[in-house]
Amino acid sequence: MNVGRFILQNHTQVVDLTLEHLWLVGVSTFLAMLIGIPLGILIAHRNRVSKPVLAGANIIQTIPGLALFGFLLPVPWLGARADRLAILALTLYALLPIIRSTYEGIRGVDPAVIEAGKGMGLTESQLLFQVELPLAVSVILSGVRVAAVISVGLATIAAAIGAGGLGEFIFRGLAMVDNRVILAGAIPAAILALLADFGVGWLERRLQPR
Amino acid sequence: MRQLHPTLALALLCCFSLLSCSQSHGDRIVVGSKNFTESFILGELIAQQIEAHTPLKVERRFYLAGTYICQQAMLAGRLDIYPEYTGTALTAILKQDAAGDKPAVYDRVKREYEQRFGLTLAPALGFNNTFAMEIRGEEARRLEIKTLTEAAQFSPKWRAGFGYEFMERPDGYRGLVATYGLNFAEQPRIMDLGLLARALKDHQIDFAGGNATDGLVPALDLAVLEDDRHYFPPYEAVPVVRQETLHQHPELANILAQLAGKISDAEMQQMNYAVDGKHEDARDVVHQFLKTKNLVQ
Amino acid sequence: MAGTQVLSGFNLQVTSGETLVLLGRSGSGKTTTLKLINRLVSPTSGEIRIDGKPHQQFDVIRLRRGIGYVIQEIGLFPHFTVARNIGLVPKIEGWPEDRIQARVQELLQLVGLEGTLASRYPHQLSGGQRQRVGVARALAANPEILLMDEPFGALDPLTRDEVQREFLLLQRQLHKTVVFVTHDLQEALRLGSRIALMEAGKLVTVLDPQEFLKSTDPWASAYVRAFGPGLEAATNRGTQ
Repeated sequence: MNVGRFILQNHTQVVDLTLEHLWLVGVSTFLAMLIGIPLGILIAHRNRVSKPVLAGANIIQTIPGLALFGFLLPVPWLGARADRLAILALTLYALLPIIRSTYEGIRGVDPAVIEAGKGMGLTESQLLFQVELPLAVSVILSGVRVAAVISVGLATIAAAIGAGGLGEFIFRGLAMVDNRVILAGAIPAAILALLADFGVGWLERRLQPR
Repeated sequence: MRQLHPTLALALLCCFSLLSCSQSHGDRIVVGSKNFTESFILGELIAQQIEAHTPLKVERRFYLAGTYICQQAMLAGRLDIYPEYTGTALTAILKQDAAGDKPAVYDRVKREYEQRFGLTLAPALGFNNTFAMEIRGEEARRLEIKTLTEAAQFSPKWRAGFGYEFMERPDGYRGLVATYGLNFAEQPRIMDLGLLARALKDHQIDFAGGNATDGLVPALDLAVLEDDRHYFPPYEAVPVVRQETLHQHPELANILAQLAGKISDAEMQQMNYAVDGKHEDARDVVHQFLKTKNLVQ
Repeated sequence: MAGTQVLSGFNLQVTSGETLVLLGRSGSGKTTTLKLINRLVSPTSGEIRIDGKPHQQFDVIRLRRGIGYVIQEIGLFPHFTVARNIGLVPKIEGWPEDRIQARVQELLQLVGLEGTLASRYPHQLSGGQRQRVGVARALAANPEILLMDEPFGALDPLTRDEVQREFLLLQRQLHKTVVFVTHDLQEALRLGSRIALMEAGKLVTVLDPQEFLKSTDPWASAYVRAFGPGLEAATNRGTQ
């Protein structure tokens, strides 16, 4: 097929753009986990703040992706570098699924187990790291999975503001009116999304508590 | 199989998501271009010049959607070289007022780029693709006008057409109208740059804001009005290069310098017309040009 | 619950080595009383003393590690093996690994389970086995005090009978101070050395089993009536 040959002939560029894409998705998902998981734990333990935090994350998610990029462009330090901006926007987008899945995972732990743990004299951090997190990790990962898949898709739009990645092929192909170029971006992006879904999904299933 | 230690798995996932090497091209040069004909002709020119004179592999990332995208790609190291115009760099990227003659603008842009961005300019390629205000050849001859100042009095009878960027840019429509006292009857039409010349020819518009090196100017017998009040800054075509790329491959400086001044306005027009008007392959057009200049065999 | 008075006017002394049963119906405040002892619940007024020392003087974590706690749902950690469940408190107390392993085997034997169960997971055990593991876990660090909140309530009658018998045998051996919550008078009579009857957050009376049966207190006798004939047999049943 034409596309196949095109990808083979330009494989260095396909690899370049794929790595750029992975970088955008990887860093932003990691940051979202770094912020979102502790936040999710916090609101799971203090239910009163759960509503505003979840509402806040939800509002961010309702902003259309391209619009969010546009909002952030004029911001001084951020707008100077498109990949910085894209990573921030992708991180914000990944927050809701991760915060929510962490909240639900922690709150889903059998209360009897928590009570037994407390009564036995486990400290708060022992309870968190040895009991709550291991039991919630599968649910938390389901949120990470959703976040990663969303990010792969949103990162293709990031090319519109100059952040690179597989979306660049798509936009260039549109300008050149060349389907092969479009597909050289779209197909790897779709594969990446599927890999993220299967990969994290596999981890989810392996870590499910008995 | 033992249950994977959960926190270890989480840590692994974190590491994996960080696993993406930072940009390093090895022995490749990435040449970019914007998404119009002249830009990727110039990009192709730079690419072939490098390929002919070094063992380096050149990767082409053409059709990038604009100045900002190219600039970002340069800053992030995704591009090593791309063709820009001094006037555009001055106003759109450095956000300074358009003023000065060709050497002054070139020097200012070069200095600022080196200080602020870690980028530099190779010597200018020769032509000045400034904005060209065009009217039909027959009209120019009939009214006996050659400059924009002379044309101003006729502007109320004309419909004008401009590209989108020209309408929005600080060094575009507003300044032009102010400088020359133009007074078009209606709001100008905003059109795709590629369609302006034809629209002018077909009497859909009477005044078009094109570019000096438009391939269709000679072909369609269009007249370019002289910018006698020097409103438009110079738009010399220059290769913008990453300083880091030059450090890694110092031979590039000389190779790019070989292109200095090699393309006249007319020659650029001809190449544009060959690709746009005659639909020849850009690669062949560029290769031919390099041969006539004795830069390749 | 904020604003509701759960306990009031409470005054109770527990003797070392006895099994004190808190008997009452739902809402009587017996679980709350139990939880005051290991500070899962804090009193709004009044004072609790263990071995003469006021509660506030204890670090709450150390306090809890020194008290065994068994609840009705047991709350075994589903992602730990039986051995890890039982050995958790010794582990966080820094016992060496071999001492922990030895203790796990010792406790499994003590509660009447096979040593091979150590490497199983809770979901692989029956209800009765899980309950016994829960007790073993509570005894792991050799606490002096044991708190049990309706620990046998979820078991079928046959198994319940078994574990009650085993509890008595264990107590004879270990002489722990046990505070035991139940709403089952038969269980209270069989297991308790004294019964503290509670109703609506108040302590009604504290009697040993024989006295309880003959008591003229309205609540006590209401209980006796509700449980019908055969209670005397239950009282005397012991380890049969």
